[in-house]
Amino acid sequence: MNKRTLFVFGALAVIGAGVLVAGQSIPKVGLPVLTTSAGQSTDVTTLNIVLDEAGITYDYCDVPTVEMVGDGVGLGGRESGPGFHVEVTTDLAKYPAGTPYKAVIFAIGASLKGMGASGLTLDSEEARLKKVIEFCKQKKIFVMAVHIGGESKRGPAGSDNERMIDAVAPLADYIVVTKDSNKDGRFTKIAETKKIPLTEIEYALGLVDIVKQVLQ
Amino acid sequence: MNAKRLIAMAGTLVLAVLLAGHLSTAGGSGTSDASDAVIAGEGCTSILVGKDASTDGSVMTTHTCDCGTCDWTWRHVPAADHKPGSTRKIYHISQYKTWPPSEGLKWDVYKKDFAGLEIPQVAHTYAYHHAMFGYMNEKQVAIGESTIGCQRKMQNPTPAAKLDLTMLTLLGIERAATAREAIRIMGSLAEKFGYGFHDDGEMLAVADPNEAWIFEICPVGPLWTPESGKPGAVWCAQRVPDDHVSVCPNESRIGEIDLANKDFFMASPNVVSLAVEMGFYDPQSGKPFSWKKAYSPVTGSATSTNGRIQRLWRFFDIVAPSQKLKPETPNMDLPFSVKPDAKVSVRDVMAMTRDRSYGTPFDPVMGIRGGPFKNPNYYRQTRVIDHGLAEYSTITQSRAGLPDPIGGIVWIAFGSQDTSCYMPLYAGMTEVPKSFMVGDHWTFSRDSVRWAFDYTDFHVQVAYSEAIKDVEAAQAKYEAELVSRIPEIDQQALALYKKKPAEATKFLTGFGINNATTVTNAWWKLGDDLLVKYNRLYLYNAEKRGMVRGQPATPEWWKKAVRAFDILMEPDKK
Repeated sequence: MNKRTLFVFGALAVIGAGVLVAGQSIPKVGLPVLTTSAGQSTDVTTLNIVLDEAGITYDYCDVPTVEMVGDGVGLGGRESGPGFHVEVTTDLAKYPAGTPYKAVIFAIGASLKGMGASGLTLDSEEARLKKVIEFCKQKKIFVMAVHIGGESKRGPAGSDNERMIDAVAPLADYIVVTKDSNKDGRFTKIAETKKIPLTEIEYALGLVDIVKQVLQ
Repeated sequence: MNAKRLIAMAGTLVLAVLLAGHLSTAGGSGTSDASDAVIAGEGCTSILVGKDASTDGSVMTTHTCDCGTCDWTWRHVPAADHKPGSTRKIYHISQYKTWPPSEGLKWDVYKKDFAGLEIPQVAHTYAYHHAMFGYMNEKQVAIGESTIGCQRKMQNPTPAAKLDLTMLTLLGIERAATAREAIRIMGSLAEKFGYGFHDDGEMLAVADPNEAWIFEICPVGPLWTPESGKPGAVWCAQRVPDDHVSVCPNESRIGEIDLANKDFFMASPNVVSLAVEMGFYDPQSGKPFSWKKAYSPVTGSATSTNGRIQRLWRFFDIVAPSQKLKPETPNMDLPFSVKPDAKVSVRDVMAMTRDRSYGTPFDPVMGIRGGPFKNPNYYRQTRVIDHGLAEYSTITQSRAGLPDPIGGIVWIAFGSQDTSCYMPLYAGMTEVPKSFMVGDHWTFSRDSVRWAFDYTDFHVQVAYSEAIKDVEAAQAKYEAELVSRIPEIDQQALALYKKKPAEATKFLTGFGINNATTVTNAWWKLGDDLLVKYNRLYLYNAEKRGMVRGQPATPEWWKKAVRAFDILMEPDKK
């Protein structure tokens, strides 16, 4: 076995180690996809940059309601306003306005500053998430939960972030977390209990390949 | 409807329209050049004064820690020697995160947020005073701060970025003997270990007894990894000419750069290439590269934003009115620095940090905005330098010609600058007053210095235009007199230093603590006195044991405004 082959196997082993944490493979879902935040932290910006890097078009809304998700691609033509942000980059030629989403990705991370800017409280954000996820379940829209903020942004039990995790992760169809976010095994425990596939990644960069596999 | 009523109604309508115009547009006018730019409009203000621009040859920086909910506690960190092979733990330190006092003090509890990184420790770390940031070390290296924001896709809130701004300043100030060294240390560590997490675009005013620099730093996006071999931060620094002053009011200040001029510019190796890579600069455009236009663009002027971004123009108007800079000029076109019309003293700088833009088109008490007692805190649509939300403000002085422990001073005023009092901590002090180390926003405490100043501030609000005179009298006694005594304190410390340096630091520590205690006690009493004096909005004279009815007097113009408003709101009677 030459050095190059060894390197390739080594690289695959590193990627594979992440994939196989929960003993399951990466789900394949397809497009179109909606990205959003659970807790209004800036981690959703990271998620969108990941999709940009992966060359995947998407719709984004920071605080979508059930009606907006139900309106599908284009979010019913809604436009950004104070405390409300919409971005539609989905290829409308391929997925015309109104096409139902196949997946919604939630970037989990609570920010009181972010929620304040959107006129939300922790309670109202929790209630909104609950309704949106219930709707996704009814409509068989794939729910992917991502936590890339790391251990420092997790906080103790009962913290804002933990409440956002509880609101989304146990109901997700797939969880992706950075190793730093899952140091205490909290996500692994949720994944094992609820039998949800989970992938651990080293950096946000690792999410690029994953979203390609899930969505393309 | 009679003519008198018609006039009153028209007048009130004009007032209402003017007021509504200000209320509706303020903040609505975006200050971001591109939708992808994230600009921090409500943060801190930092002023810089070069050594030949100050009356006493000192280099000055300021920081108004304008947060509203942040921790205000201070610490002194002693110098230390470290064995070869020892490491320095890196922590994620949020500027905004606080803990209830029952859980401990911020500068103990923050160590729960270990970033998972230990870097090689240096052989010796300098002593320094710090709060939100490292402010002054025993070598007179000083720092001030202002958040500037950056392009959205540059933000890196991921744990790959190990260094936040606060941690960076602590590392810089514990390791650097000069401003340039501090910049190189902070820049290189950020490049190597990644910058961001809690912070994005930031400016630091970095000074020593010889020079002052504006250092600006941004993350490089969330997809950065240390294994990429690329810098984990992009930064640039520009020196303020010695005979100039400058300011950063939450806006990037560095424009075109000349890295060949090493005495005035420093930057990370990716300073231009990253902008090209991210699409913020096109070398084929024929335009020179501009740091601020690429990484932290802002559009608009003081006028076009109804005063939302008027601090930049206002500062230059205060220090160099002869230049007749116009509030209509886009902020990005205002100069990096100016030569002040007259040299600036530390008292001038104290006044600048208290500026409310009175008498300008952005005057917060113009017309009826401040109410009957001209309270500048009612109308917060224009962003003035002193907007009443400061945790504390600092003015650092680094002074050549004196030994470092005596030459360096950080002046601290807790709470809103207008109702507070600057107190000096010399660089050579080996501890800070205990009352500086405790307290938070949600628990009133008589042990915390900050609450003494907030206590007075609260009692000023009732009849601001009258009560502020009482505060100004106290400032004259406890602040202005002390400033004039500083040369005498310096000489006493110098005499001791020549005999035995440790005696000087002991003297300076005692002086700083005693003065802080005296001032804090005076402000507690001032708050008590204001409560009695303006009780129930009458004027009580404690000495004469009397009450003056009709005082403080409600001005006639306010009564007219009230009448006009009543007429406007009254149902039409036929």
